[in-house]
Amino acid sequence: MQRQQEKPTSKLRRFRLYGPCSHVFDASHTGSWRVERPDVAFDKCVKCGICATCCPANVITVDKGSAECVRIMWDYCKGCGICANECPQKAIAMIPERSVK
Amino acid sequence: MRRLKFYGLGGQGVVTAGKTLSTAVSIYDGKYAITVPAYGHERRGAPVYTDIVVDEEPILANCFVYEPDIVLVMDDSIIEKNVDVAKGKRHDTALVLNTRNPEVAEMYANEFGFNKVFYVDATQIAIDCIGREIPNGPMLGALAITGIAPIEAIENALKDIFGERAGEKNAKAARKAYEQVKEI
Amino acid sequence: MGHYKMLDGNYAAVEALKMAGVKVISAYPITPQSSISEKLAELVDEGELNAKYIRVESEHTAMSCAVGAQLTGVRAATATSSVGLALMHEVLNVAAGLRVPLVMPVVNRSLASPWSLWCDHQDTMAERDSGWIQLYCENVQDVFDSVIMAYRIAEHPDVLTPAMVCLDGFFLSHSMQKVLVPEQEEIDRFVGEYKAVNLRLDPKDPILINNLTSPDEITEMKYQQAAGFRNAKRVMGEVFQEFAELFGRKKSVVEGYRTDDADAVIVTLGSMSGTAKYVVNHMREKGYKVGAAKVVSFRPFPYEELRRVLENAAKVAVLDRTTGFGAQGAPLWLEVKSALDGCKLVKSYIGGLAGRDVSMWSIENALMDIMEERSAKPDTKWIDLQGDPMNLRQVLMNV
Repeated sequence: MQRQQEKPTSKLRRFRLYGPCSHVFDASHTGSWRVERPDVAFDKCVKCGICATCCPANVITVDKGSAECVRIMWDYCKGCGICANECPQKAIAMIPERSVK
Repeated sequence: MRRLKFYGLGGQGVVTAGKTLSTAVSIYDGKYAITVPAYGHERRGAPVYTDIVVDEEPILANCFVYEPDIVLVMDDSIIEKNVDVAKGKRHDTALVLNTRNPEVAEMYANEFGFNKVFYVDATQIAIDCIGREIPNGPMLGALAITGIAPIEAIENALKDIFGERAGEKNAKAARKAYEQVKEI
Repeated sequence: MGHYKMLDGNYAAVEALKMAGVKVISAYPITPQSSISEKLAELVDEGELNAKYIRVESEHTAMSCAVGAQLTGVRAATATSSVGLALMHEVLNVAAGLRVPLVMPVVNRSLASPWSLWCDHQDTMAERDSGWIQLYCENVQDVFDSVIMAYRIAEHPDVLTPAMVCLDGFFLSHSMQKVLVPEQEEIDRFVGEYKAVNLRLDPKDPILINNLTSPDEITEMKYQQAAGFRNAKRVMGEVFQEFAELFGRKKSVVEGYRTDDADAVIVTLGSMSGTAKYVVNHMREKGYKVGAAKVVSFRPFPYEELRRVLENAAKVAVLDRTTGFGAQGAPLWLEVKSALDGCKLVKSYIGGLAGRDVSMWSIENALMDIMEERSAKPDTKWIDLQGDPMNLRQVLMNV
């Protein structure tokens, strides 16, 4: 029977690679594409979860137990606005993302 | 020959602005123009640029613009996105900037070393005239101040590119920006 | 007479396909497709173009459909680019072997891998032996004119060979330029109605096309194709002449630019040819005796005409927008080298890959380099390498 490796495989070594590959994943943060951002009015929110169901990026979690019940992963929200469109309470507004000068 | 570089963010109509200027020059001013668009990973909000070459004669060189005579910046926040809009700038290169804030225009003049800076609040004009925050129409109007094309040619080209209704609004916005543009 | 229109390369190709009256369009509408198929779909939808649009499931099928459609006696169209062209490879050879004179615009873009969106000639160069005529365009007007002329060349009874019109991705496909578009009647007169003069599918008189053929006959059929290419040269001359008389724009299979008294000449394909001319003018002002030669028809390759154009040049720089891995030089260089006699110095340059700009400096560097070259058999030179090319990616990884 083959014995399991005893030494951990976490030793890092520097390699030179040929061909295309990504090893720094900063570009995968699609949230940086955002020009507008969903802004939730928690007083209007009825916690129905439709925004979470409709989100094409699957970045919305509705936590019914908390006051700020809609949580959005900002690293990956592209600001498409579908949640704002679908919200039956009109509790989500799209507000400009860019820095105020 | 005059070489132009347009900078902006994805969704602001930078490439369309290039095409519109090309139309204005070629069809309504009897000259020649080519656009050399640089396409990348298309997405809203990412920095975008496009190059345009204008001449009295048919244009031979079909490559990017490295030493622009005119730089047009559609969004003043481009400075935060590590885009060097002064790349290849010469001492007489003119900058046409979209900003509501004259201090930002000053900053572009000082930090990037442009000796000639025109600025206009094209975003506000776009909101007023077109109802959308897309500043390319008014920015082309402001660009006419450099003499690259007559404002009438730009108005006509906008009507061609955007169709009747949106074209009319864009042409109006362009005229307004042309009248409001200021020089530092 | 015609009128000016603002078109990018893709729309210029569409305008020409439309005016040639294509009746069937088959296209695969996803990356790496261009706005050519999109615009054609729009024209069909709006009723501006009376054609059947077939949305297929791959480029392989797009070409198969086009071949089948054209065999029924109408002009069929499709368009592609990059890896889409590679996926057509099998059926490209079928179209050529069946002598179906399709005309197809191809937007030149790099082949994977690495994945790229941008321009080089790797895709069409990989198809240079597929039995298709290949015409390369310098500007957007050229795209329109070439597609129109390609119909006359490809469909000529002595040629019967499909043609691709190659336009550089982005530098032409997305470059907006002023194009003089002739009136429809003028194009109708020039291109004429399509008649299937060879194989034809007709339910009333059924035949089987593309059956298994024995070794007894295939060599001869290939010889017929080769004869088609030989004839294509003559026909091209005639068609270019007739087009010039009607529309005032003269094309030739290879175009020399200030080559008569040039010591060094740069040979190019496609959109970089304009830049080469510009640089030649610029360098002439500084006293360098340089010239440029643009190869318009890569298949058939105009070796006799090129020899004449390069007659007086002692040194020839050939700039390929493709790699030619493992060969002595890149594809265009190989052709130029074998066309010329041994006494000239012909050096292979590679540049402008996957969207890297062939700038004025790239061209000037190549010309300066060839003027200083002393070796009789110089190695291939990559003109626009940056940094240390062997050390791009250094990463920390688990052992």
